[in-house]
Amino acid sequence: MNDNAKIIETVPEFLAHAVALEDESAERYEMLADSMEVHNNDAVAELFRKLMRYSEQHAEEVHSMASGMTLPNIPPWEYNWNCPDTPEGGDCISDALNYLMTPYQALNLAMHNEVRGRDFYAWVSRESPNAEVRRLAGEMASEEQEHVDLLQTMLKQTDITSEAPLEDLDPPNMPDG
Amino acid sequence: MSTATATDTAPALRAKDYKSEIKPVWCPGCGHFAVLSTVTKALAYLQLRREEVAMISGIGCSSRLPAYVDSYGFHGVHGRALAVASGLKAARPDLTVLVAGGDGDGFSIGGNHFLHACRRNMDMTYIAMDNEVYGMTKGQASPTTAPEWDRCRLTPHGTGVPRFRPAGIALAAGASFIARGFSGDPGGLTRLLVEAIQHRGFSFVHVLSPCLTFRPEHKEWKQRVHPCRLATTNNAAEAARLIQEDDGKATGLLYIEDQPVWQPENEDHADLSEIEAEFRV
Amino acid sequence: MSTTLFDSSNPARAIAITGSGGSGAVTTGQIMLAAVARAGFYGLMTRSAGPQIRGGESAAMLRYAAQPVACMGDVFDILVGLDWKNIDRFIDEIPLSPDSFILTDPDTGPAPDSLHPAGAKILEIPFKKYTEPVEGGRINMAAIGATGAIAGLPLDALEAAVGDVLGRKGEAVVASSLACVRAAWTDTQAMLCVTPPTGTAPERWNISGNEASGLGAMRGGVRLVAAYPITPASEILEWLAPRLNKVGGVLLQAEDELASVNMIIGASFGGVPSLTATSGPGLSLMAEGLGLAVASETPVVVANVMRGGPSTGIPTRSEQSDLNLALYGFHGDAPHLVLAALDIRDCAFTTQWAVRLAEHLQTVAIVLTDQSLGQSRGVVDPPDSYNGDHRRIRAETPGDAYQRYAITADGVSPMAIPGTPDGMYTGDGLEHTPAGIPSSLHHDHTQQSEKRLRKLQYFDYGEHWAVQSGNGPVCLLTWGSASGAVFEAAERLTAAGSPTRVVALRLLAPLRVEALREALADAETLLVVEQNQGGQCFYYLKSHDVLPAHTRFFGRPGPLALRPGEIITALDEVK
Repeated sequence: MNDNAKIIETVPEFLAHAVALEDESAERYEMLADSMEVHNNDAVAELFRKLMRYSEQHAEEVHSMASGMTLPNIPPWEYNWNCPDTPEGGDCISDALNYLMTPYQALNLAMHNEVRGRDFYAWVSRESPNAEVRRLAGEMASEEQEHVDLLQTMLKQTDITSEAPLEDLDPPNMPDG
Repeated sequence: MSTATATDTAPALRAKDYKSEIKPVWCPGCGHFAVLSTVTKALAYLQLRREEVAMISGIGCSSRLPAYVDSYGFHGVHGRALAVASGLKAARPDLTVLVAGGDGDGFSIGGNHFLHACRRNMDMTYIAMDNEVYGMTKGQASPTTAPEWDRCRLTPHGTGVPRFRPAGIALAAGASFIARGFSGDPGGLTRLLVEAIQHRGFSFVHVLSPCLTFRPEHKEWKQRVHPCRLATTNNAAEAARLIQEDDGKATGLLYIEDQPVWQPENEDHADLSEIEAEFRV
Repeated sequence: MSTTLFDSSNPARAIAITGSGGSGAVTTGQIMLAAVARAGFYGLMTRSAGPQIRGGESAAMLRYAAQPVACMGDVFDILVGLDWKNIDRFIDEIPLSPDSFILTDPDTGPAPDSLHPAGAKILEIPFKKYTEPVEGGRINMAAIGATGAIAGLPLDALEAAVGDVLGRKGEAVVASSLACVRAAWTDTQAMLCVTPPTGTAPERWNISGNEASGLGAMRGGVRLVAAYPITPASEILEWLAPRLNKVGGVLLQAEDELASVNMIIGASFGGVPSLTATSGPGLSLMAEGLGLAVASETPVVVANVMRGGPSTGIPTRSEQSDLNLALYGFHGDAPHLVLAALDIRDCAFTTQWAVRLAEHLQTVAIVLTDQSLGQSRGVVDPPDSYNGDHRRIRAETPGDAYQRYAITADGVSPMAIPGTPDGMYTGDGLEHTPAGIPSSLHHDHTQQSEKRLRKLQYFDYGEHWAVQSGNGPVCLLTWGSASGAVFEAAERLTAAGSPTRVVALRLLAPLRVEALREALADAETLLVVEQNQGGQCFYYLKSHDVLPAHTRFFGRPGPLALRPGEIITALDEVK
């Protein structure tokens, strides 16, 4: 986990983090799904959309857990969590992101995301001084673990294509300038 | 230096409410996705009313940004976004005006407008997404491309011309807020955008945003980009030194200072009869 | 001598004053124009100068009459030489005849030989002597007195004019000037025994074409102006700068014309009627931006004060050679409005009308005037105001289904102004769908192109598209500042028994083809008159198939103004 991560002490704080994490996950998957759809990679688009829906579902669950509570409005830059590719907080500029990417590559990308999520919740469930927070975090860590397991299964069932797909023979386009 | 402060109530508009329905056509892996995401997060953090935000852009991949944000937008011609934005802000000082563009749009054809916008110091935020290439026209060298890059047909031996250095030029031209962000550090970038919008004056946010289609080697920016080692300064001479010695990959708020903001002074609304009377014989 | 020099039953006069090196020829012209106004006449004053910033040779030309004056006529009645240095620069602009008088001070030397061929009579008047007893006495003030007397202007009008123009220089200057004026006038009057006639004086204005353009813009509702200076348009911007503020408007100085055209687009996008002013070289730079305004349907107005071209050309002189640029200067199919003012007063009306049209039709309006209108001053009836009710159609309560570029019956789609909830859209120079989403499809391009054309073509512009006079088988067709000489030529011909009609176009694009055909019907002789090399309007009209085959063109490029006599001669040759 990131050395700068704050210790989470209250349930509202925790839920705010969880909402942010799931929202961001959903947002990222949606962007990826849309991007793949626009680039006519339907198989991967569908995959990302499925993952987006899991994240949205999870986000809704967190919202209902939080009903009646006032969640703190934590500035977006104060969330610290890791992306596996970078040593400190950052986005995943994954080498695999490409309009020709395969479902296998997409699943790997998703796997990293879910592992990151699970690790965050696991860390909170260990380190928080608040028992209720630890309990909730533990629940979410388990749920993330289910996603991780699901992805593992899907990976096993998917064609392993670790090589890059065939090169696109068409030259790049020049749409508006 | 202004710092953002959190409030204690949950926000009414969320980041995704600031996204329009239109799906971006950027290549997967493009840094601009992160810029779009951070813009929406910044607007959500500030809880700005969508109808009171206007995004102005020119031509290029980064100039497509306004269509993807659910605010008023204007997608003009190459290099002129800052002029459009200046006219809009002069007429409608009540709006939050954001300008988006790339390195070609902003520093080549738009260079003159860049200088004068920094100088005029009108209250707006300029987000220049720098990928050191002309992406939309298929990969020519831009003013920020290194002189030795020889992978394009227009300049097969490299341009041989030293890079344009936006931060230094912004400072010399009189910008009152100069920051550099990285699409690979969305947390940091969101914070810079919030501060830029909150700053009263011309806020220049230079965003390193790699193009993986035409400059795939820029994946290595993840390793080269680093936080600025010096603290933010409001001393122009210090900032000049910092920027001159900088490798062009240092992120953070480099310079901020309160300077007079160009704002027209309007008297009360007289009618034309007084003015017409001047002509009477 | 003790005879009257001019027919006092006809109080019209044309006077030219030249001088150099600080002699104050232009101030002389201004004072005489003010005197003419005070005496109850209409007047027109133009000027010409050498390239020096100060101290160069300069000439002021003034014409006045009991009815409105819109051109300098054929010949000057009086030429006053404060001195004769470099007068050759102006000889072509100051035609004289054997009935003209040249006033010269023997103290400055004889009038140059180059003036002799015209056969004008020399009058020696000792301007300098009148200044000697007066401390701070100036030669040009003596010239004003003497010229006024010869022309038949009353002394009190001249005195009041001195106060009008020199008042801000302080009492001493006014006093010494008045002393010289009085002395010279009284002496000269005694020699000539002229009874000065006076005109009637309902409300008149003293205004330049550029000031009138600025006023027209403000009357039209313009509240944001972007400004980049250029000769001869800068006065529009300078006049507007302090006055816009008074009515809650803004003037923004731009770094170049590329900025100024885009600034007015931004301001207009924000809901504020906007304008800039420029001349040919600037309009060329603005072409791309104006195309963007057409494509994004953003109303903007450009006042283009034409000057000698091409390229840098003759910045300080007039020409009517930007019509092609105004009509055809944008890439793509980009229909827009082109209007042209006919005279100084009309600069106000036409600019105001252009603003109202641009706002309603959400398009570009280019208003053509020229240096001879912009930098000339007239004593005129107050300019008419355009009373039509056209305004920008706003989407006040757009709903979810709002489409910025929706296809409507008249082609005008309501515009959501930033700040209006639920109206968010992105204006675009890219071709787009009705919702404003970029599109490269044939269907969208056809539909939107047709919308942008239809909204202009089928709009009812009313009667203002042209000013017409007279009737008869002979027809003069013109536009812009050439109208002054054309109308005068037609009046003379009609008075002499040859009925001649005039059609002076104000709305050049879109062309009112049917109305024009009707106006030209049964014309046996048709002459298009304009001040450019090849007949830009002539060929434009031909391309619309409205000119019968026997139509001819008369004109030439600047800087010499077209004169009524020349037009009459040209017509004779064509008849």
